[in-house]
Amino acid sequence: MKNRYKPIKYIKRVAFSNKLDSIISLTIISFGLVFLISLVKWVIFSANWNVVRLNLPLFFFGSFPNDQLWRPGLWISLFAILSFTTLWGPPWSWLRKNLPLLWVSFAPIGVFLLAGGCGLSPVESRNWGGLTLTILLTSCSAIISLPLGIALALGRQSALPVVKKLSSIYIDTMRSVPLIAVLFFGQLLIPLFLPVGLEINRVCRAIIAFTLFVSAYIAEDVRGGLQSIPRTQQEAGEVLGLHPFQITYLIILPQALRIALPSLTNQAVGLLQNTSLMAILGLVELLGIGRSILANPEFIGRYIEVYIWLAAIYWVICTVMALIARHLEQQMSLEKKDL
Amino acid sequence: MPPIVKATNLTKSYSKGILALDNVSISVEPGEVLVVMGPSGSGKSTLIRTFNGLETFDSGQLNILGISLDCQNNEERKIRRIRKRVGMVFQQFNLFPHLSILENITLAPIKVQKKKRDDAEQNALILLSQMGIASHAKKYPSQLSGGEQQRVAIARALALKPELLLFDEPTSALDPERVNEVLDAMRRLATQGMSMVVVTHEINFAKEVGDRILFMDSGKVIETSTPDIFFLNAKHERSRKFLNQIKKK
Repeated sequence: MKNRYKPIKYIKRVAFSNKLDSIISLTIISFGLVFLISLVKWVIFSANWNVVRLNLPLFFFGSFPNDQLWRPGLWISLFAILSFTTLWGPPWSWLRKNLPLLWVSFAPIGVFLLAGGCGLSPVESRNWGGLTLTILLTSCSAIISLPLGIALALGRQSALPVVKKLSSIYIDTMRSVPLIAVLFFGQLLIPLFLPVGLEINRVCRAIIAFTLFVSAYIAEDVRGGLQSIPRTQQEAGEVLGLHPFQITYLIILPQALRIALPSLTNQAVGLLQNTSLMAILGLVELLGIGRSILANPEFIGRYIEVYIWLAAIYWVICTVMALIARHLEQQMSLEKKDL
Repeated sequence: MPPIVKATNLTKSYSKGILALDNVSISVEPGEVLVVMGPSGSGKSTLIRTFNGLETFDSGQLNILGISLDCQNNEERKIRRIRKRVGMVFQQFNLFPHLSILENITLAPIKVQKKKRDDAEQNALILLSQMGIASHAKKYPSQLSGGEQQRVAIARALALKPELLLFDEPTSALDPERVNEVLDAMRRLATQGMSMVVVTHEINFAKEVGDRILFMDSGKVIETSTPDIFFLNAKHERSRKFLNQIKKK
């Protein structure tokens, strides 16, 4: 640990301890420097950021009506505020207790703010787009697929053969189909199955498809957690006269979800990135809006700028998600150990 | 008063035709401490686990606190009715690691007996101080030593005010210097008149606290005697052999 405080000595030890090490380190460092310098040079001098600057509202809100932009704006700000409060907010217990509730209601609030109704003028879903739509797809799919996934995981362990078999078949089928196929199914086939006259909008269909797909993976992650809880925990609950249902949701699930948390985070980040597949299927979420901006003759050929910009946005959001997940994990281990 | 536990000709076999319980008949009177001894694999744990429905049996009759269990297909509700009145302490403590000590103890009173949280917590604190660990109420199981965890487990079982306590080798997983703190707690319970069935290898505890010793081997009851007779002048050759072997350790 001493070396931590002597960075030069530390670097010497890990990177230049012998001739070969030094050569390898120097090569890597020089390549890295060349790359970095040319990137910075390009970003500052050659790139034309007009394509991003002029289209900022499009990137964030899609073609949401101009006079209503405050609604998606408010929602994205809510995301930022919630993340910030969760990570660095004051440790007031009433706030900490209600944060999970706020996170759960985040997706419904988004749907309300975007769709309108109850006093807000309605906005059709084809006007939703950009980062707003990406976050909406992610948060809605996540919030629905988590309980569904847990239910499937429990179903797979059920003592009832029918439930067990059905859950297994569902999970295994979903996991053997590529996501893009499920998304195509959602966009093209769901309308065929519905009775004439009943139409579900495209965003909704995308959310259904993502939910169906992700819940199968969540089920497997949760099952991993469930299986790592020793059978004796179940017995300890039984001996106290608890109802099987109470044993599951008071004793087994809280422990299983804790164990499954890292892989669940993984699913959430994966889900966010997979929403970009919807660009192929005609939704103008973050990537989709980038593609349609590139199709505009005014900005033709500016694809590097656009993709770097998009990568930066995805990176920021994924990082925020990872930070929140790590924060959650730390909180849970805190609860267990220190006091 | 009728016996708390009355087992008649209990028989149970696991798959390969090996009898875990072979015609076991035993009764436990109210206030009695029955110590069950025997080599490992003799069916001691299986026996006491049938008393609260953790294990089923193949034939025979079993009556716990006036509720009779059938050899097959017992209603879940009936078993839960028994479990609400019979506490159990395991070898591995089996505390809930995600709940604090206080929550571990109040869980069942609140969720099963529908007590108010304040009342349940007050009662839990009384139990914890009887066990000498009231200062740990806010901690989590992983912060406690094995002996402390086992005393929490006893308090958890006591919180439902059981009429019978089952102990399944409560000190076998403990460091030797931690054994006595748990045995002392059990001694106190015995003097308070708690009916207990204790599976244990602790000879001194069995001698001092046990009202009767039940000795089992390969699923059979070999003998049931008072501690005086069992430890000084066991009736059966098998019992004497077992005692000799334990004493050598």
